[in-house]
Amino acid sequence: MAAEPKLSHTSAMILQAISAGYVYGFSIMEMTGLPSGTVYPAMRRLERDDLIRSQWEKQSIADAEQRPPRKYYRLTADGTATLEASRKRYPLLERLINTEEAKSL
Amino acid sequence: MKPSSDRALCIMQDGMLRAASLMVPADQRSDWRREWEGELWHVRHSLCQGGALSWPAQREVTSFCLGSLHDAFCLRRESRPAHEPMPRLSGAAGQCLLRLGTLLAVCFVVAKLLPGVQAERDPARFQVNPGVILIQTSASSDQFAPTIAPAVYRDWKGVRQRYFDEFAFYRTVRERASLSEGRDAGWNVTHASPNLFSLLGLDLPFDVARNSDEGGLPEAIISYDSWRRDFAYDPGITGRLVHIGNRAARIAGVMPYGIWRLPGDPDAWLLEPDTLLAHASSRDRGYLVAHLSPLGQDWMRGPSIPIAVRGAEDEDQEYYGVSFAGRLRGPWAIFQFSLILALLALPAVTSVTLGESNYSSHRPSRSRTLLRRGFLLAKFLLVAAIAYFASLDLAWWNSSNYSAIAEFAQLVWAFSICLLGFRWAMFDQRQRCPVCLRRVTHPARVGLASRTFLGWNGTEMMCMGGHTLLHVPSLPTSWFSGQRWLYLDTSWDFLFAD
Repeated sequence: MAAEPKLSHTSAMILQAISAGYVYGFSIMEMTGLPSGTVYPAMRRLERDDLIRSQWEKQSIADAEQRPPRKYYRLTADGTATLEASRKRYPLLERLINTEEAKSL
Repeated sequence: MKPSSDRALCIMQDGMLRAASLMVPADQRSDWRREWEGELWHVRHSLCQGGALSWPAQREVTSFCLGSLHDAFCLRRESRPAHEPMPRLSGAAGQCLLRLGTLLAVCFVVAKLLPGVQAERDPARFQVNPGVILIQTSASSDQFAPTIAPAVYRDWKGVRQRYFDEFAFYRTVRERASLSEGRDAGWNVTHASPNLFSLLGLDLPFDVARNSDEGGLPEAIISYDSWRRDFAYDPGITGRLVHIGNRAARIAGVMPYGIWRLPGDPDAWLLEPDTLLAHASSRDRGYLVAHLSPLGQDWMRGPSIPIAVRGAEDEDQEYYGVSFAGRLRGPWAIFQFSLILALLALPAVTSVTLGESNYSSHRPSRSRTLLRRGFLLAKFLLVAAIAYFASLDLAWWNSSNYSAIAEFAQLVWAFSICLLGFRWAMFDQRQRCPVCLRRVTHPARVGLASRTFLGWNGTEMMCMGGHTLLHVPSLPTSWFSGQRWLYLDTSWDFLFAD
């Protein structure tokens, strides 16, 4: 990577949350404490910059659980590299959103 | 929380998501709405405890939905193309003329849409025959009050006249009109001699006085306002029977809008034989309209003429005849008068100099000077045209007949708009760069009032094209009484490249 993009703290928190396993908009909001009006536009920008990728859940799964389908997010390779760089810039990021904590949920 | 309240809040929250999705660019709308609705389900589901949501939970759900509006605003902002500043257009002369032109177009369109204004703008429709005058008694102070007894009309008509070749008479009374079964209205009814309209020369689109002399039912003409108000624009009104007072009359037609300019504001005209008119009460008073003979027209030099009549008992009775020319002058004459008044009053409200003095010997080229004066002239012409149409719109929007109040209102509006508009045009002109005609901007205070004797103090403004600086003194002194232009040379160009 020639030049790593410098992320804002908000974007870095969202990347960290996705990396920690919070892959839906509402769960990211709950984890980061950011309001919906901040999280979704930030995620769209991260997606535009190819740092995350979104995918709609299969309709059959949603139908089986009698709920609307959700859109879930995952990190791309670039997103993972950027998050690594951001962790150096924001050392407390990992402590704020712990991967182990997410896995235990 | 009650299920009904829960349901109402659900509807409101869904409505918020729907509204937010409408603000999202169309190509992304369905995707965003789907995601918000999917997440909303999970928000509700995570906060739901035992079927219904509590108030705090509803507040949280609502704040999630409010966040969708914020999302939509962000998306709109990001999807909008970057706003290009238009330094060349800002404050430009063309922009100023465009705005004035737009205002003029609006006033013109409004004038076209208002029937009262349309009727007023066509004076040919209500012009009467030349040589027609209104005769009044000298005892009356009101020029247009009814003063003539029916007997005078009868007497004058029965005697051969040198100065008049035809007379007509009318009087207006308030009467009850039965329009149809059980429907009455109070009308101002003008009882007129059958030759009134032919004497006036009004161009009516129907034949009147056909039956009036034939002993049939009298003919009634209703006003445009009555047709609108009492008959709801009924197209089959002609020939209908109405009872006016205790007599039946046949409606001959509707008086064209704005054509009647004589005194009185009738709802209907009833054409009656002279015998009926002459039998009115001796206390009744009306209007006597006369047509001057060629000899009488030679005598009629001004707007009015005194008339002395020797009575039966050798006493002199004083009358005077008033020409309709002044009364039917039309809006253009009123506007011309107000325009002249405004031009005369302009030096009293603003300085009429253009502030073209400058510090240096630099003079704008002749073509620039001509362009600047042409721009000022264009502004004056546009302001005058706006004043003409706007004053017509404001004064005549609701008048179908002649109204002295509407005429006065037109005069006042036209004068006010012209005066204020010309004042603005002069002020605007003084603040436009003599080179490029752009308004000078970025006012900066210079100097201190306490040091007036050591240096000037006032406001400095600059032309965004980099041509000039304008210095306006706060306290006019003998050595700096008016604004001055400082022309900038080419060394300043790099600062104003745009």
